[in-house]
Amino acid sequence: MNEHRRQILQMLSEGKISADEAERLIAALEERPAGSSENVSDSGAKARPKYLRVQVDSEDDGHEGPTKVNVRVPMQLLRAGVKLAGLIPPQALHRANVAIHEKGIPFDLSQIKPENLEELIDQLSDLSVDVDQKDHATKVKVKVFCE
Amino acid sequence: MIPFVAVVSLRGRKSRTLRIWVPLILLWLFLVPLGVLLSPLVFIVFLACRVNPFRAFSVGWQILYALNDTEFEIDHPSAGVSICVF
Repeated sequence: MNEHRRQILQMLSEGKISADEAERLIAALEERPAGSSENVSDSGAKARPKYLRVQVDSEDDGHEGPTKVNVRVPMQLLRAGVKLAGLIPPQALHRANVAIHEKGIPFDLSQIKPENLEELIDQLSDLSVDVDQKDHATKVKVKVFCE
Repeated sequence: MIPFVAVVSLRGRKSRTLRIWVPLILLWLFLVPLGVLLSPLVFIVFLACRVNPFRAFSVGWQILYALNDTEFEIDHPSAGVSICVF
């Protein structure tokens, strides 16, 4: 029995939801696609994403057609890229910290440790950004996700 | 593995696609002796900037190693560019 089903049954036993609601929730759970992220996490073997995908779809009225940008960045490259932060010379780091504080952001770059960056990259696997903007003559769709 | 080939595709207005295979391995073969020759100078520059040269080389190598499977594509009705690194 997976975690969600157990939670639903527990809510039913506690009287928080009715039998009909529980049935509907369980039916909704069963309707989920087999490869959904929730199911993968339930099986305990969540696959680590390999790539970060950025898709931009922009459309201008009165122009020739849509412009599409599709970028696939390996997560390994992001991992290596964030390690570059560790190479920032101390003087530059100090100047950057001063500039950040001047902007009113309470953040200290020297506090960033390699393990924090690793954690940050690991958490990117759950990242999904969808931006859908519609101006007078422009439609822009941005999608950022891991795969 | 470091990337060996980059495929650059260029498409013009008339939908003609020009696909260029760039053998990066030749570039690496050219850059390795050059890198060995320049390494003392680079080493000194890194030390002058107070950057650990070994760490810098390590990060540079990791970035190079991770470039595999990078894909970049821009598509517009008038033109299109695509770069894939293998």
